[in-house]
Amino acid sequence: MTAQVILNGLVTGMVVALPAVALTLIYGILKFPNFAIGAMLTVGAYLALALNVYLSLPVLYAAAIGAAAFAVVAVGIDQAVFRPLRERSAITLLVASMGVSFVLENIVRFIFGNGARSFELPLARPKLVFGLRINNEQIFTAVAVIAAMTAVYVVLRHTPLGRAMRAVSDNPALAAARGIDRERIVRWTWVIAGLLTAAAGVLVGMDRAIDPLLGWNYIVTVFAASILGGLGNPVGAVLGALTVGVVEETSTLLIAPNYRQVVSFCAIALLLLLRPQGLLGVQRIKK
Amino acid sequence: MNIHGSVVSAREIVLSTEGVAAGYGGDDIISNISVAVGKGSIFTVIGPNGSGKSTFIKVLAGLLPARTGEIRLGAMSIARLSAPQRVAAGLAYVPQEFNIFTNLTVGENLRVSTEFLERERRASAEQRERVLAIFPEVAGRLGLRAGYLSGGQRQMLAFACAMMAAPTVLLLDEPSAGLSPKFVAEIFDKVKSVNAMGVTVVMIEQNVKEALRIADIVLVLVNGATRLLATPDDILTKHDLHKLYLG
Ligand SMILES: Nc1ncnc2c1ncn2[C@@H]1O[C@H](COP(=O)(O)OP(=O)(O)OP(=O)(O)O)[C@@H](O)[C@H]1O
Ligand SMILES: [Mg+2]
Repeated sequence: MTAQVILNGLVTGMVVALPAVALTLIYGILKFPNFAIGAMLTVGAYLALALNVYLSLPVLYAAAIGAAAFAVVAVGIDQAVFRPLRERSAITLLVASMGVSFVLENIVRFIFGNGARSFELPLARPKLVFGLRINNEQIFTAVAVIAAMTAVYVVLRHTPLGRAMRAVSDNPALAAARGIDRERIVRWTWVIAGLLTAAAGVLVGMDRAIDPLLGWNYIVTVFAASILGGLGNPVGAVLGALTVGVVEETSTLLIAPNYRQVVSFCAIALLLLLRPQGLLGVQRIKK
Repeated sequence: MNIHGSVVSAREIVLSTEGVAAGYGGDDIISNISVAVGKGSIFTVIGPNGSGKSTFIKVLAGLLPARTGEIRLGAMSIARLSAPQRVAAGLAYVPQEFNIFTNLTVGENLRVSTEFLERERRASAEQRERVLAIFPEVAGRLGLRAGYLSGGQRQMLAFACAMMAAPTVLLLDEPSAGLSPKFVAEIFDKVKSVNAMGVTVVMIEQNVKEALRIADIVLVLVNGATRLLATPDDILTKHDLHKLYLG
């Protein structure tokens, strides 16, 4: 029983890791908490749904094409909404992202209606491994998330783009003086965030129904994960997501599942009071 | 006393300004600064706190636009070039603070210092080796996160990063600020050895004694204006710094 709960929690945490990393990357580069992160999941899920249901593409292809399309959309949103506000305060940008969230959700409602939908997926029985129920979606989720996180890690650690992203996040003025074009880095950050959130939207949609509040239900959890890992720290965001996933899932043993986000919410509040730099975060030492 | 022409030696001029003024908001912080820096020399800027020394060097580096006046690197006007374009043109700059990426490793700091310049300006393997040879304390810590370096080591790293661009002119803003005497001496040694390799140095210094010892020409900046432009010998024998600083 407990092992099953922890397993389910880890899988939930893996799904949450994708938008948590996206949130933390955007925060690192643009220094604002992107409230639209939930709506980005929703739109990503619906794009894949449209390709899956209307064009009859298998979910995997639908997800890949949908994610690529959504990456372009994310860059477009940034250029239209956030770019003109680049030098404004984090609060202004946060409010703008709330607006984006609202608009995206309503576009989805307008096109697809309010009802719940689902992907056309072949049904399969859960497998039993050492007494644990594991279904195909969970295995697929684990493989997809590990692949995505490995890719992000390699990009951040070992490519010029990754070094530039970390440099801009660390010290924008010095990065500019070194010839790093911040706007180019910003666009690539939105591409990565778009791919990650769209993929997460599909994974959530495979697990449950797709409705216009799909991403909304994850906002608190995603913020808790990123803050837990220290905003701006991608590795921290992944660990934060796994922690939040397990804790939320475990809490359902004690409280009604509908209240699981309360647990994350309390975690954020406690953390901000006790350790504002996040669990992993070192207080930034600067000369 | 002629504060402008006579102290410029017969050396070829690599960097010069004419009537430069600059500021951040309303009023000019510095005004009418005209200097000529001879090739291979050490040109030192001293002056009281807040007199505009950093402002002047930021204008040279391209981080703050000159409101009026001209800046030349050799014969080329650079007043309208961006900071990275000036690095590419041969003018490297070490800021007074926040001069390294603390979340990148030492090796990554060296790498990104030229990685995003135009292709032909990126540091060659030979240049990297040359820089590592000058800065063994940096070479020995390539894998370490730069945030874990001590103040003196950070300054060395910032200095090494600037050298990766193989500059003809190096701009240093108080490289020894806040360092222990041992590191101050080491930094000055590095400045001398880099200069001996033919790099022209423009350096702001608060350690006036040390600075005068290695400088060829000294600019005394007070309240954003040129108070004096003279050789260290002249300053030590003919002037009183306290009186100069009072403006
Ligand atoms: N970014 C800025 N915005 C507004 N004013 C500034 C800025 N930087 C410096 N100043 C002001 O410009 C004046 C000159 O500052 P500057 O840093 O050039 O002096 P400095 O000679 O380098 O001093 P220090 O010896 O303390 O480094 C000061 O009055 C300072 O308050
Ligand atoms: Mg200064």
